[in-house]
Amino acid sequence: MTVNKNFLEIKNVNFKIEGNNKVNNVSFSIEKEGDIICLLGPSGIGKTTILRSIAGLEKIGSGTIKLKGKTISSNKINIEPEDRNISLSFQENSLFPHYTVEKNIHLATERKNLNKKKKLNLKKIIKLLNIGKILDKYPHQISAGEGQRASLARSLASHPDLLLLDEPLSNVDQSFKEEIQVQLKKILKNLKITTIIVTHDSYEAFYLGNKCGIILNKQLKQFDDPYNVYHFPNSVEVVNFLNRGILIPAKVTGENSLKNNDLGTIKGNFIKHYPKGSDVKLLLQPEDLEHDDQSNLKLEVVDRKFRGTNFIYTLKTNSNLLIPVFVHSHHIHQHEIDEKFGIKRPINIDHIVCF
Amino acid sequence: MFRNINIWFISSFIISFIVAIPIITVFSSFFENTTNYFEILKNTFLVEYIFNSFVLLFGVLFLTFIIGTGCAYLVSFYNFPGVNFFKWALILSFAVPPYIYAYSLTAFFENYGTAFTILKNLFGDGEYNKSIPKFDGTIGAIISLSFSLFSYVYILARASFFYQSQNLIDLGKNLGFSKLRSIFSIIIPSARPAIVAGLSLVAMETLSDFGAVSFFGINTLTTGIYNAWAGFDDLAFANQLSFYLLIFILVLFTLENYSRKKAKYHSPTKGGFKQKEKIKLSKYHSFFAFFICFFVFFISFIFPLSQMLYWTIIFPKNFFDLNIYNLLINTIYLVTLSSVILIIFSFISNYGNRVSRSKFLNALTTFSISGYAIPGVILAVAFITFISWFNNTVVEYFEFKSIKKIFIGSILGLVLVYFIRFYSLACNGIKSGYEKINRSIDESAYLIGYSKLKTFLYIHVPYLRNSVLLIGMLISIEIIRELPITLILRPFNFETFATTAYIYASQDLLEAAAVPSLFLILIASFFILLTSKYILRDDSE
Repeated sequence: MTVNKNFLEIKNVNFKIEGNNKVNNVSFSIEKEGDIICLLGPSGIGKTTILRSIAGLEKIGSGTIKLKGKTISSNKINIEPEDRNISLSFQENSLFPHYTVEKNIHLATERKNLNKKKKLNLKKIIKLLNIGKILDKYPHQISAGEGQRASLARSLASHPDLLLLDEPLSNVDQSFKEEIQVQLKKILKNLKITTIIVTHDSYEAFYLGNKCGIILNKQLKQFDDPYNVYHFPNSVEVVNFLNRGILIPAKVTGENSLKNNDLGTIKGNFIKHYPKGSDVKLLLQPEDLEHDDQSNLKLEVVDRKFRGTNFIYTLKTNSNLLIPVFVHSHHIHQHEIDEKFGIKRPINIDHIVCF
Repeated sequence: MFRNINIWFISSFIISFIVAIPIITVFSSFFENTTNYFEILKNTFLVEYIFNSFVLLFGVLFLTFIIGTGCAYLVSFYNFPGVNFFKWALILSFAVPPYIYAYSLTAFFENYGTAFTILKNLFGDGEYNKSIPKFDGTIGAIISLSFSLFSYVYILARASFFYQSQNLIDLGKNLGFSKLRSIFSIIIPSARPAIVAGLSLVAMETLSDFGAVSFFGINTLTTGIYNAWAGFDDLAFANQLSFYLLIFILVLFTLENYSRKKAKYHSPTKGGFKQKEKIKLSKYHSFFAFFICFFVFFISFIFPLSQMLYWTIIFPKNFFDLNIYNLLINTIYLVTLSSVILIIFSFISNYGNRVSRSKFLNALTTFSISGYAIPGVILAVAFITFISWFNNTVVEYFEFKSIKKIFIGSILGLVLVYFIRFYSLACNGIKSGYEKINRSIDESAYLIGYSKLKTFLYIHVPYLRNSVLLIGMLISIEIIRELPITLILRPFNFETFATTAYIYASQDLLEAAAVPSLFLILIASFFILLTSKYILRDDSE
């Protein structure tokens, strides 16, 4: 028997709400205290149910959840939410309506066993979340974004063993969002608070998370580093969900090469071995292709989107595949729709992901 | 299933059980043998009881519809001098229970009554008695009940008119409707569920009215029940009459529930609601509108109030004979005790529903609020029947001491039956307060380490403080006005303003009934003024 050192361990858990199974047979763990995990998935998939179950607000169908080696949820055991020292910040405003923001935050510090040193962090939290000005106000007097930051402050103030954040920044203005993300990461790292964040914004997840979990079709499809999730998606569903590339048919032609009828030979390192001659679907991401006016491989432009730092061209191949290509926006000349667009050959991809 | 058995479950079950007692008793007694009275009465009186109840019902429904909807229409759609005053002044009639209205009506119009005195002072001696109309019997009861109960229709119709969008009225204009056609084809039909709900409440109150009807000596099902108990000491017959009355009530209850559910669709939507612009009336028309509202206000409130005041002043002896202090203490005692118990149990039941989210528990709660539909007379008589039965069978079998004295003619029994009668008022009040608290508020509290009890005490109770105060006041108004339950179940020598007034009036000592009646009106008015904003449902104004 090895001693289990994981901080949080979720093993074969079926998450359900009101008798309906939402996500089945989930297993993942947080190894060290202070790590941040992001759960990504489309709305209604059960991300919130997972958080609610970990917090103890819902009972789990089967499996076990252990926190610091102690079972908190299983078939038989269900520790009450107030005894878990897990904090959940809800997506909707859940501040106590009859208390000011300040009182709301202070209520959280009254938790038993909270030492004074930790209490001192309160001022820092208030400053970092920029809610100093609204401390005297009542929840109905503040905006949705301020409400979210205030309830985040309340969750942090209770200094939980585990912090659960349900779409913490969904109501925060886009302009302010990145700043808050930076601050949030800083606070969580400074205070060494282990956190699970639920979001549908993949960039938020990639930035904040030490690990990312992708939930699709009632399953935890992939649980890995953000880099790996992005570059090495483990299933077609994950590719489709992240919506960051397309799958094109190709034939494996050697140890380091494949061939597509429209694009010709593509070279790179296979992540997984495929025998020569097998038909695969190759993941082609927008940054994989390079623009080259001199190239003899020319495709028709069907759409062009300006995205600030870059353009995304959508190109049509002879067999009617639509391929996205990134081009830096400093690129001097632009190609109009219906014009031809050259692709640099040979095509080289760092790591080849096939299904 | 058995996992859910906890304190919430048990208390909800107990509440439901207490409320079920009168219903079960009435239904089981229906098949019991009665004394010979019933055989004789059955053929002669029963038909009369039912006939009288019907006449009364239709008379009151007709009058309250006209007065309630008419006044609600005027104050909602038109601007005329005093409209803001009449808006809430018209609900003051709530402070005058039908029996007190009946005393005033009689006192004013009787031979050598107040009307006679006025005429004599104005025009000197004369034979006025013959020319003064007499409002007694069924007509008197219909008038008393109508002017006392029309506010149910007024309040609900006004709320519905208030939330009618300007768009709806513009639509009528757009279609080229005349004003009259607009009223009958748009305004009244769209307020129909509210008006029907108001009329159902009026109907239930009319059928269960005891004070006014018995004062005018009309034999209805309700007075029949009381007389069978008080006169013949025949509980079985009383319960059999109750059975017939309950059938009536059941029909009304279903109707009311049905229309109330429909009324939900008329609540304002976020987008399309446009505040109405009130129509300013011309001089002649605004005088007319003012006159109608003033007339109703005067007849329903000023008239009984001044009649009682007048008699209190001209017969000061009665004022000093009456132990006002004692009555006041008794009233405060009953009101406080009942309110506290009602509110505590409503809290437990609502919180239990919230925490356990059990459908069975929810069904129990729904059942336990049905007590408000049962007339007080039936509740009291059925309660006595049940206690006697329980005493004669279970208690005597185990050879315990008689429990009759604990429950009958005691404060405990009285409060218990008040509980059944007013539980829906308290429970629904707390419920509507709770519906405003998002469930995630509770969960946030658990997650910062609050236990369920601490969440209840530190989060819910402070938040619901205003709702609780309001419910306390509404219960107070009801208990101050309440007559039959108090009359039947009160301890010996324990009187309230209502019972004192009734006892004097039934002994033909109307002058003496004036003092407690006056106090009753004043105290009830005070509470109504405090809660008028809520009663009028004007939060958004």
